[in-house]
Amino acid sequence: MTKKKNRFTVGWLYPDLMNIYGDRGNILTLLKRAEWRGLDARAIDLGRGAAHGMEDVDVFFFGGGQDREQALVYDDLIEIKQEPLEAAVANGSVVLAVCGGYQLLGHYYQTAEGERFPGIGLIDVRTEAGKKRFIGDVVVDTTLEDLKPTTLVGFENHSGRTFLGAGARALGRVRVGSGNNGGDGTEGCVQGGVVGTYLHGSLLPKNPHLADYLIRRALSRRGMAELAPLDDSIELAAHAKILERAQPRAGER
Amino acid sequence: MRRTAAVWAGKATGALSRLSGLGGGTTLPGDVARAIDPTILRKLTGDLTEGSILITGTNGKTTTARLLTSIFEGMGKRVVSNRAGANLIFGATAAALRSAGPDGKLRADWGVFEIDEASLPRAVEEIQPRIAIVLNLFRDQLDRYGELEKIAKTIEAALESIPEGAQAVLNADDPRVGEIGLGLGRTPLWFGIEDPVVAMRKLPHAADARTCPKCGASLRFSAVYLGHDGIYECPNGDFARPSPGVAATDIALQGFDSVGMNIGETRVELPVGGLYNAYNAVAAFAAGTVLGVDGQYMAERMHGFTAAFGRQEKMDFRGRRLVLVLSKNPAGFNETLRTAVDMAGATHFILGLNDRKADGTDVSWIWDVDFEQLAGRAQVVVPAGKRAHDLAVRLKYAGVEARPPQTEPGRALDDLISVTPEGATAHILCTYTAMLDIRAELVRRGWAKPYWET
Repeated sequence: MTKKKNRFTVGWLYPDLMNIYGDRGNILTLLKRAEWRGLDARAIDLGRGAAHGMEDVDVFFFGGGQDREQALVYDDLIEIKQEPLEAAVANGSVVLAVCGGYQLLGHYYQTAEGERFPGIGLIDVRTEAGKKRFIGDVVVDTTLEDLKPTTLVGFENHSGRTFLGAGARALGRVRVGSGNNGGDGTEGCVQGGVVGTYLHGSLLPKNPHLADYLIRRALSRRGMAELAPLDDSIELAAHAKILERAQPRAGER
Repeated sequence: MRRTAAVWAGKATGALSRLSGLGGGTTLPGDVARAIDPTILRKLTGDLTEGSILITGTNGKTTTARLLTSIFEGMGKRVVSNRAGANLIFGATAAALRSAGPDGKLRADWGVFEIDEASLPRAVEEIQPRIAIVLNLFRDQLDRYGELEKIAKTIEAALESIPEGAQAVLNADDPRVGEIGLGLGRTPLWFGIEDPVVAMRKLPHAADARTCPKCGASLRFSAVYLGHDGIYECPNGDFARPSPGVAATDIALQGFDSVGMNIGETRVELPVGGLYNAYNAVAAFAAGTVLGVDGQYMAERMHGFTAAFGRQEKMDFRGRRLVLVLSKNPAGFNETLRTAVDMAGATHFILGLNDRKADGTDVSWIWDVDFEQLAGRAQVVVPAGKRAHDLAVRLKYAGVEARPPQTEPGRALDDLISVTPEGATAHILCTYTAMLDIRAELVRRGWAKPYWET
């Protein structure tokens, strides 16, 4: 019983297909930071056909993939993963979705020709294809409660334009970079325990405060609210380097 | 007339660039000459008495080009080659300009050009190669190239347009290259490795192309040599590795000192190490085979081979030995780490990461590299380069105790020297421009030659 209580489980959706932008960094960061707090941390692979153990997952991670791979996970996501994922989230599990994963959790993705591919609608966002690709460093001022520092840093590389509905709020406002759609100044979304974003780099290693937010939120459903502080000087030095070097790109607000 | 003007302007630019210490003049002359005559490369390569070979792929282009150059030069042929990694169309043009005479004519027999994946269609069109070699397709610089799939499609279209009678020489072990070759309108010559002893059983994390192009099933590997290169098949029987016509067997790995292999009846010993160099050797050997070059002769030339700058370059400094190993993407870095730790017994390191255009401005990929290989085995690791701080975080999460990050190459070298005992060897694994920065510092201190002289 205590053994299970001490366990921390990360569920990695399609690790072999949706891992294009060094997404393993997010997994490693979640696992190590849980381990350093004395938790028994493990990751389970939720590849095509797999749904076993999803109810035990504390944090799901859904990364980005190439078009070819994204097409290969599409049916499986709807047929095998949607139901248990919704159930786990309703039960307090946390989700971090980056880039392609972020888009697939929304209502739909609309191509340049106007064709709509429905997502699973876990978050109130919709995405449309754009012409220009947004590529480069991003600095976000986040409004997520109790995050210190209040900045998030990462790298974006996407042509989709994502717009938030009334049910989702932004993860933050872009100081540098394009964010959700290059127009309204928002980046990412937060809806209950689901966080979606275009930031990779990887995201969590240079934003340990966001990693801890996800871990804390997931554990709180099991009555474990406190996380012992860690020495984050190496992570925050890398975070500070990005703040220092990131300059607004030509043609941006 | 225009051609002669273009040649002269280009040559003058190259001389100025070297004199002013700006660099080796490896691409700028190409820019200048092409502005005067956009067809200059087509005209110059048309003068070659034998023809051209183009080499593309993510890793190994420079070494493979150098091997072929050495083979041709040993036959008394005059070779034009874009050395020093200047592998865009401008670099190829600059190389041709250097060998052009005052009359604007190219006096050479062979052109051996390494070509950036994205530049291949243009290079094929302008150079009209006799042989096109595709080494591998790994994820690399997603910010610049876009996704792997886009590159694969670009290469496929370029290979479809090589001249009639030209030969595609392709790596059978790379599933994405295999897919390209099996869909071509002509039969490629396949090369590969057949040696279960040096294979891994499982795909590393950095592998990319792992699904069947026909049914989408995950490919089954019976051997993995490097990245996603190995012996693979679709579990539903829709796709399988083509059988290589030229294969390396009985491979003997000796750290960074050498790699030996049998290719057909010939024993080849290459004085640079690592399994990735076995691929470069067998690719060059396959191209030579197409041209009817004697195998034993090629083996002799390979035996006397010297590496290009920063590619397992070895030098001595103050009683210590330095080995410089270019490591520019997950597949490459995993292999150089594996060779260093498992085979060369390396314990002292500088790891260098830059994010200039030539390195890729997105450094996410370091999270796909298995730096965990260093944990408990490396004694000293100095994170260096413009993105040294990112490497420091990566190493922390890999369980590797590292020195403080050093963004200045001189400081990184000083720190390494201060903790490396005399008589010991240190390995410097760096991305492209991080290697240039470290090398420039070594040149400044008189420990290495300028890169355009290597």
